[in-house]
Amino acid sequence: MAAEQLTVAVAGRRRRAAVPPLALFLIKRLLQSVAVLVLVSIIVFGLLHALPGGPARGILGQQATITQINAFNAAQGFDKPLIVQYLDYLGRLLHGNLGQSYKLNQSVGSLIAQRLPKTLVLGALSTVLALIIAVPLGVWQAVRRGRAADHAITAGAFIAYAMPSFFVALILIIIFSDTWDVLPPLAPQASTLGGILADPRALVMPVLAGTIATVAVFSRYVRSAVLDNLSEDYTRTARAKGVAEQRVISVHVLRNSLTPLITMVGYYVPVMFSGAIVIEAIFNYPGMGLLFWNAAQTSDYPTELGVVLVIGVATVVGSLLADLLQALADPRVRGGIR
Amino acid sequence: MTQPELTKATPGQAALTISDLTVSFGAGRAVDGVSLSVAPGEIVAIVGESGSGKSMTAMAAMGLLPPTAKWSGDITVGGTSLRGLSQAQLRKLRGSRIAMVFQEPMTALNPSFTIGWQVAEAVRVHDRSVSRSDALAKAAELLSLAGIPDPQRRLGQYPHELSGGLRQRVMIAIAIACDPAVLIADEATTALDVTVQAEILDLLREIRDQRGTAICVITHNMGVVADSADRVIVMHDGKIVEQAPVEDLFHRPAEEYTRTLLASVPRMEPHPEKAAPQTGGENPVLAVADLTVDFGSRVGGALRAVDNVSFTLHAGEILGLVGESGSGKSTVGRCVMGLLRPTSGSVRLLGEELPAGRGTVGRGRRLRRLRQRCGIVFQDPGSSLDPRMTIEECVAEPLVIARSGNGAERAARVAELLESVRLDPAVRTRYPHELSGGQRQRISIARALALRPELLVADEPTSALDVSVQATVLDLLLDLQAELGFACLFITHDLAVVSFLAHRVAVMQSGKMVETGERDQVLFAPADDYTRRLVAAAPVPDPVEQRQRRAERLTLPSAGLEQGAAS
Amino acid sequence: MTATAPVRATPSRGLYRRVAGQLVRNPAAMISLGVLVAVIVFCFLGPFFYHTDQIHVNLAAKDLPPGTGHPLGTDDVGHDILGRLMFGGQTSLEIGVAAGVIATVIGMLWGAVAGYAGGWTDAVMMRVVDAGIAVPALFLLLVAATILTPTIPVLIVIIGVVSWLVPARLVRAEAVSLRTREYVQAMIAMGGGSRRAVFRHIIPNVVGTVVVNATFQVADAIMLVAYLSFLGLGVPLPRTDWGGILAGGLNYALDGYWWMIVPAGVAIVIVVCAFNFIGDGLRDAFEVRLRGR
Repeated sequence: MAAEQLTVAVAGRRRRAAVPPLALFLIKRLLQSVAVLVLVSIIVFGLLHALPGGPARGILGQQATITQINAFNAAQGFDKPLIVQYLDYLGRLLHGNLGQSYKLNQSVGSLIAQRLPKTLVLGALSTVLALIIAVPLGVWQAVRRGRAADHAITAGAFIAYAMPSFFVALILIIIFSDTWDVLPPLAPQASTLGGILADPRALVMPVLAGTIATVAVFSRYVRSAVLDNLSEDYTRTARAKGVAEQRVISVHVLRNSLTPLITMVGYYVPVMFSGAIVIEAIFNYPGMGLLFWNAAQTSDYPTELGVVLVIGVATVVGSLLADLLQALADPRVRGGIR
Repeated sequence: MTQPELTKATPGQAALTISDLTVSFGAGRAVDGVSLSVAPGEIVAIVGESGSGKSMTAMAAMGLLPPTAKWSGDITVGGTSLRGLSQAQLRKLRGSRIAMVFQEPMTALNPSFTIGWQVAEAVRVHDRSVSRSDALAKAAELLSLAGIPDPQRRLGQYPHELSGGLRQRVMIAIAIACDPAVLIADEATTALDVTVQAEILDLLREIRDQRGTAICVITHNMGVVADSADRVIVMHDGKIVEQAPVEDLFHRPAEEYTRTLLASVPRMEPHPEKAAPQTGGENPVLAVADLTVDFGSRVGGALRAVDNVSFTLHAGEILGLVGESGSGKSTVGRCVMGLLRPTSGSVRLLGEELPAGRGTVGRGRRLRRLRQRCGIVFQDPGSSLDPRMTIEECVAEPLVIARSGNGAERAARVAELLESVRLDPAVRTRYPHELSGGQRQRISIARALALRPELLVADEPTSALDVSVQATVLDLLLDLQAELGFACLFITHDLAVVSFLAHRVAVMQSGKMVETGERDQVLFAPADDYTRRLVAAAPVPDPVEQRQRRAERLTLPSAGLEQGAAS
Repeated sequence: MTATAPVRATPSRGLYRRVAGQLVRNPAAMISLGVLVAVIVFCFLGPFFYHTDQIHVNLAAKDLPPGTGHPLGTDDVGHDILGRLMFGGQTSLEIGVAAGVIATVIGMLWGAVAGYAGGWTDAVMMRVVDAGIAVPALFLLLVAATILTPTIPVLIVIIGVVSWLVPARLVRAEAVSLRTREYVQAMIAMGGGSRRAVFRHIIPNVVGTVVVNATFQVADAIMLVAYLSFLGLGVPLPRTDWGGILAGGLNYALDGYWWMIVPAGVAIVIVVCAFNFIGDGLRDAFEVRLRGR
C-alpha cells in the first residue's frame, strides 16, 4: 500500500532521534525558565540598588551622616563592586536567604513563609470558583454567539472587568456589612490556615471580590477558545456522523478547548497576586499582599523585594507548569511524528 | 403533526433524489433549481468550478446547511424525504443512511481522540445498544475494509500520526460504518498526492462493488471524473448545465460551457515540436550540485528534505520540477532563490555562488543584487500580495528596492507590466482583496517580471486556481517566456501542466532526484520505477483511455515496498 | 485571450475607511465612543461652566451630602465632588492615554523586531519580556513609587515602561506568523532588506492588533493609576485622580458617606468599559476585513 509506505518513508527519513520530542520540549522550556529567573533576580537586584542614597538611607534615615552611611555600607558589604554584590546576592538567594526585614524583627524568608500560604488559599478559592462559573458561561456564550444573551453577558463581563477590585470590595462591604449586617467586614485574622478556614463567613467577601474580576477575564477567554474550536473541520465531521449538537460541544469541542484553559490559568498567577494586594489591604487579611503593602508604606525594601522575587518565581513556575500540562494534554506534542 | 416514517428504500428506487433544489443566502442563490438522482451502485460525478454550488447541494442532502441558508424543493434519501423532518430525525439519517467524506484529511479528524474512539463513535451514535468493546472491534473491521494495514494498532493511534492518505481512509471507514445508502465524497482526493488519489478512487469503486452504495463524487478535476464516474453532472453558477453518461460527456459534450471546461484541462500529451532551446551549454543560469537540506536540530532528529540533488538550468529553458508532497521540490525552489540556506552542496545562481552552511538567510548586498535578477511567483494568491498595499505599490516594489527610475518612470513601467499580463492598468489603484485569484496571480507574475529577470521560479503558481483560470495563466506564462526569454524553474505536482509548459523535466521523490531528461522522454518513456508509477497514476480526462491506464497501473510493481522501508 | 480582465466598478477604500465602516455598525462600540467623547468634554470643558475650587480647603462645607449647590456632595475637606470628578478625570485620562500610547509604541517596535529577527535575538528579547511579565505591574510600580517621587510625567513614564510587555508579546506573535507570509518572502526574494520588511510589511499589517491593544492599554493604565492613588502612592496633591478620590473617601464610605466613593468608582468603570468596548469592536472590525479577503 503506497500510502502506508509513505508513512514508513517519512518516519525512516528522520535519523534516529537522540531524545524523544516531549523531553526535548521540556528541557527547552526549563532552560528558558531558568534564564527568565536569572533576569528576574537581576531586575530585583537592580531595584534594590536603585534607591537614591542606597539602602543605607532607608534604614538610617534622612539624618544619617556620610560616615555613618559608609560604615553601614562597609558592614553590609555595599561597597564592593556591583558584580560581586550580585553574585553574593544570588548565592544568598539560592540558600533561601532573602535578607532581613528593616522594620519587623524577622527574616524576610520567614515572613513570606508565614504569609504566602494564606494568600494562596484566597487565590485558589477565587480561581476555582471563577472557573466553575466562567467555563459554562463562556461555552454558553460561544454557542449563542451574536444573540441577546451573548451581548448581555459580554456587557456584564466588561463592566465587571472595568471595576477596580477595591471598588468592588468597598461596594460589597457597604452592602453586606453596613446595610445588611450579614458578613463581617474583616477577613479571618487567625494565624494558622486551619483557623482561617474555620471562619468561612469572613472569607466570603474577600473571595467574592477576587472572583468577580476573574470570572470576567476567564469567561471572555473561554468564549473565544470555544468559538475558535467550533469553526474547526472536525466538528463538521462529527455532525456528519450524526452526533448530536450537544455532544459535539460537550465532548469534541470542550476536549480541545481544555489546553487554552490550562494556559489561561497558569498565566493568571501574577494577576492573582496583584489583586491580592488590594483585597488583603481592604479586608485586613494577613497574607503576602498586605505584607507587601505595609512594607511599601514603611520603605521596608528587603521585604518588598523579597515578595517581588517570590512572585516572580511563582509566575515562572506557574507558566512552566501550564506549558507542561498543555503538552501532556495535546497528543500532538506528547509524542509521535511532529 | 405526524412523524414521517424513516422508510427503507425499495429496490429499484433511486438512493438519492434531488428535485428542484434551491438554496439561498439572503438575496443570493447558491443552488438554483437543481434536479438529479443517483441509483444504488452508481457513481455519479458532480463537476464544476468554485462557486458552482456543487458543495452546497451536497450539504443540503446531508441536512448540514448553515442556519442562515434557506432551501426549497425536495431531497429524498433512500425513500425518505428530508422536507419537514425535525433536527433529531435529520440527525438519525446523517451518517447512517447518507454519509460524507470531506476535502481536508489533515483537519477533519479530532486531534485529541484516538482513531479507534472516533470510528467507534460513528458506530455507537446510531446504535446505542452496541457495547464499547464491540464497537472497537467493528472499528478495526471497518479500518481493514478501508484498506488500512495493521488496523489493530491504528485503533490506539492519534490522527497526527497518520499520513493524509491514511486519514482519508479513516474518514471513509467512518462514512461506511452504518452501511449508508449514499456516500458523498466532496473533493475527497483534492488534497492528496496523485498516487494516493488513485488508490482512494480504487477504494471507492470497491465499496460500490461490494455494498451497492450509491456514490457521489464532487470534484473540479476532470481526470478524477474520467477515472471514477459512470455518469457526470456539470454545474455552473448554481445550475445544472449538462448531465450525461461519462463517455458521452467527454467525447460528445453538448453544451458550450462543458466544451470550454474540457478544452481548458491540460492534457498529458507529447509535444515533439516544442523542443528545448539551443543552448551554448556554458554559463548555465542555475547550477545546483549535491544540494542537501536538513530541517531540525541534531538533538531532536533532523529531517532530510533534500538529498544530494543536482541539476542545471540554461537560459531560455523551462525546467519542470515535479514531485508529490514531501518530495522536497518547494525546498529546492527556496534554496535556488536564496530564501533558504542549504545544509551542504552548492547553488550557483547566474554564475555566483550562494552562501551555504548553517545560519540565517543571507542579507548581504551582493546577494540582494543577485536576487534582483530573479523573480518568484508563489502558490497562494491569498497571501502573495501584501493586503495593505495597492496593486501599484505591489508591482512597483522591486523597482523601489532596486532604486530604478524616478516616480514617473516607475508608474509607466507598472502600466506596461500590467498590460503585459493582460490586465487593465486601471487596476493599479485597487487592493488585492478586491481581485480574483487569477488576477492576483497575474499581478504576482507582473511583479516578478518587473526588473526583467533572467530566472523565474514559479512554485505551484496555478494549483490554487480554477481549471479555466489556470489555463489562461499558463498560456500567459508560456507567451511571456517566449517573448522575454527568461529561464524558468516551474515547480508543480501536476504532470499535465508540466507536459504543456516544460522543455525538460526533473522528478523528485522523498528528497532525491530520481530522473531528469527531456520532457517527452520522462513523461512518456520513463526510466525510473517511481516516475512510471507517478505517470500511471495521473488521471487523464478521457474515460476510455483512463480505464486502460488503470488496468496498466494495477500491473505495475506495487508501491516500492523496498524503497519505502530502506530510506 | 481577452485583453482586459473585468474589474469591480466600485472605488477601492483604504483599510481605515473600511474598518471605520465596520465599526459604525457596532452599537456597543458607537455608544462607547459617544460616552467617551462626553466624558472628555465633561472633564476638560466642564470646569469652564461649572466653577469649583479644587485647591483650597473649605472646612465649613465638608461632608455635605448631595443637594443644592453640590449635586454630588462634598468631600472631607470641602471640595465639591462633581467638580473634583472633572478635575481628577483630567489627570486620569491624561496619564491613561499617554502611558497607554507609550506602552503600545514601545511594545510594537520591540515585538516586531523580535518576531521578524527570530533566532537568538528573538529568544533574548522575549526572555526579557517574560521576566518583566513575571513581576506584576502593580508590584513594580509600588516599588518604583517608593524610590521615586511620583509626579505626573514620572507616573506616565513608569506606567508606560511597565505596560509595554504585553503588546510586545502580542506583536511578536503576529510578526512571527507574518514573517512566513508569501509577500514577505517575495520581498526578500526581490532583494529587499530587513528594515523594509519590518517597516513596510510587518508593522502596517500588525496595525490591527496594535490599535485594538492600545485601547486596552489605555484602559489598563487608567486602572493602574487608580490603584496607585488608592494605595496612596499615586498622583501627588494638589492634583488628584479618580483613584485618589476613592482613597480619600475610603474611611468615610464605611460610615455611610457613599457619595465620596461611588461617583469616582462609577466614572472609572464607565471610561474603562468604554475603552474596552471600543477595543472589542475594533477587533471585530479588523477580523471581518481579514475574512473578506
